[in-house]
Amino acid sequence: MNGFSTYAANVATAIRTSLMDRTNFILNSFGMVLNDVFFLVLWYMFFAGFRQVGGWGLHDVALLLGLVMVVVGISGVFFGGYRDMAATILRGEIDALLTQPKSVLARLLARESIATAWGDLAMGVWMLFTFAALSWSDLPLVVLGLVCGTTVYVSSAVVYASLAFRFAGARSFARDLTDFMLLFSSYPGSIYSGATKIAAYTLIPAGFVVLAPVAFLRAPSVSTLAIMIGSAVLYAAIAAFLFHLGLGRYRRGLVPTG
Amino acid sequence: MPSTMPIARAEPALFGAVAAAASALGLGIRRNLANWPIMMGRALFYLVAMLVLSALWDKVAAQRLPGTLAHLLPAGGLTLYIGVTEWIALSVAAIHLRLEDDIRFGMLEPHLLRPKSYLVQKLAEAMGDSLGRLIGIGAAAVLALVLSGRAAPSPIAFVYVAVLGIFGTAVGVLLMTLVGLSAFWVRRVLPPYLIMQKALFLLGGLFAPISLYPGWFYHAAIVTPFAATLFVAGDQALAPSLAAFGRGLAAQLVWIVLLSGLIALVWRAGLRKVLREGV
Amino acid sequence: MAAVRVENLRKTYRYARRKPGLSGLFASEVRHIEAVGGISFAIAERERVAIIGPNGAGKSTTLKMLSGILEPSGGAAEVLGFVPWKQRRALAYGIGVVFGQRSQLWTELPARDSFALLRRIYDVDLDTFRRRQASLVERFGLGDLLDQPVQRLSLGQRMRCEIVASLLHGPALLFLDEPTIGLDITAKAAIRDFIREHAGAEGQTVVLTSHDTRDIELVCDRVIVINEGRIVVDQPTDQLRRLFLGHRLVTLRSAAPRLDIDLPGVKRRASEPHLSVFEVDTGVSRVDVVVQAALALGGIEDITIEDPPMEEVVRAIYDANSAR
Repeated sequence: MNGFSTYAANVATAIRTSLMDRTNFILNSFGMVLNDVFFLVLWYMFFAGFRQVGGWGLHDVALLLGLVMVVVGISGVFFGGYRDMAATILRGEIDALLTQPKSVLARLLARESIATAWGDLAMGVWMLFTFAALSWSDLPLVVLGLVCGTTVYVSSAVVYASLAFRFAGARSFARDLTDFMLLFSSYPGSIYSGATKIAAYTLIPAGFVVLAPVAFLRAPSVSTLAIMIGSAVLYAAIAAFLFHLGLGRYRRGLVPTG
Repeated sequence: MPSTMPIARAEPALFGAVAAAASALGLGIRRNLANWPIMMGRALFYLVAMLVLSALWDKVAAQRLPGTLAHLLPAGGLTLYIGVTEWIALSVAAIHLRLEDDIRFGMLEPHLLRPKSYLVQKLAEAMGDSLGRLIGIGAAAVLALVLSGRAAPSPIAFVYVAVLGIFGTAVGVLLMTLVGLSAFWVRRVLPPYLIMQKALFLLGGLFAPISLYPGWFYHAAIVTPFAATLFVAGDQALAPSLAAFGRGLAAQLVWIVLLSGLIALVWRAGLRKVLREGV
Repeated sequence: MAAVRVENLRKTYRYARRKPGLSGLFASEVRHIEAVGGISFAIAERERVAIIGPNGAGKSTTLKMLSGILEPSGGAAEVLGFVPWKQRRALAYGIGVVFGQRSQLWTELPARDSFALLRRIYDVDLDTFRRRQASLVERFGLGDLLDQPVQRLSLGQRMRCEIVASLLHGPALLFLDEPTIGLDITAKAAIRDFIREHAGAEGQTVVLTSHDTRDIELVCDRVIVINEGRIVVDQPTDQLRRLFLGHRLVTLRSAAPRLDIDLPGVKRRASEPHLSVFEVDTGVSRVDVVVQAALALGGIEDITIEDPPMEEVVRAIYDANSAR
């Protein structure tokens, strides 16, 4: 519990910081809402013209996008440090954290809260309520899906950032990979096949960020539940392992920083 | 040999201006090369985006659902079209950010102290940067096309696409210049940028040709500079035709002239403001 | 012919400020700040002039008006025969500007590329350019640095490149805005030496703003002090000391740990053991009398007689001014 309350305190500070510049905050969060509305309009036009793709209709894509936006929203607000973690590592900024008694990874995740994520969060919640064809009884399932999805998303981001312990090019590459993950996650899973599908369920795990939760919500069963929870646990474990492996390298002075 | 009066220049002023612009263009290209990790990231993003979008449209085209617009889609799907529009969209250099930095942080001053126009130079640099991107991403695009085993467009289509792609990128750069110049009056260029970007995606047909839109919408979109940026080049990848190429090129040239004029006016107004009130 | 001629130059900035309270939503009052309040001076060719003053005194504003990037609210000025804000482009060929705190070079590329572009911007013909670049590069020791990206250079190295960049088109007039700020002693010395020698050889006029009084001492022969938008002092450098601080410093190194000289107008300054510093008011006592008194004490190993540092002079001017 002590770890949790420390984390909560860190995040609270980060959120306060992001709220400090009011104009900037409103600009960023509202801008993201408009951004998301735009893409919704595009999807609406798409389905008006083509009705469905691979068995996915407007309501299914709405569910998908709603989940993605809430996942990105929660990740950005409460674990916002994920976005620039590679750059933080390469700038040598974790030196200060290493001398402190708490978990480095937790501190890194809690150090920043992204303003635009509030826009995603608001938009995503609205989408889930209005367009995703869900009922109130689905609520606990949705929450479970979101927890798992967020776990996979943040864990993957940590894995990408851990590349920074290996090479300096990771600064922009980690960010790129996170963007790719988002890209993959924003399209109906039915379109992926072959090698792309494999990639979407392993390296760029869009499959487990949203597709597994969507499958679970549309057809809840033991197997879909198991896949969802199992993938979340697996990715979290991989992330923790790789991060601490990299941290060991850092402690041994093998990571060029500055 | 003290020189108290400015040196008499041997060449006429126009030659000097063009030479300076050409030099700036070269500098833009070289700067692009110097930042090659970012270029690689951009090319990779292009490939990933193409992977996802082509999967989407292939599926749609393959389904051929009755009562939908699927019958309007070419047999090969929209991959070639989107390949061109994404290529252009990713190649438009972020001149609006450079302008915002220079204008808001007082970095215009060194440029105002020089005898050549800051704006012409910045535009030339941005075009150089864009050319570098066009080549880099273009190479990735051709490679992906070859590896995917899809039917390639005819050679003449390549030529049309290349020409309209370059001029389309130029139109895009001019649009972003207008966004950047708004920094003289607004605090952040991000809002106008997002609006311009979304207008480009929607009215320029980034994700789908505007010819698929309902009639009234199509006619509204085709006359915008956004269609001149993306659509006219992408269209050639689907159905190359000399007539459409000619029309597209003419539209692009018209927009280049109009936007340049508008930019000149906006710049002059902004400059007046800075000279009067300081940066 | 005067390189710079300024007559009653004025600049008032206008800015809108929201009224406090609810009415602030609808009305704003326009405030005026007089940055420069009517200054006049002339600078002859080949002169080296320092413009100094506290922060916000109007130095940068003056420099901006003289270089053409700011329009005055009133008054007239002529630089190299041009009206700066009206003939900015024509004037640009004849002036070189160095900003201490802003880079004019393209940072991701080697300095060489920036220089090449500047040649095009200033329409310098290739031979003249090559010759000048070679001589400047040698003078500043930039040889290997030219091909490294500018952002990888140290601050001192970058400043040297900036100065070379401002000289490639052979300007007749140099504006240097805080050119030595943030540099280490060696770099400062290199730049000061260069300005003194090169500018002299090329017959360039130099106008320098700085907070570093050594810049003034070592480089300029004339000082203009601006405070609150007005010229307070306009004197040759050596006269400045004599006018504003009528005293000299006598430093004595002695066998005895402490010396005392009891003469009118002689004040003891903070000293170290065996090293005594005395401030002599030359209006009251003569320096040779003080020296004789010191020698009479015996055990004197070394004597230094010097002017007080320029910093004190400048501080005295500021203090005298604000006391008014």
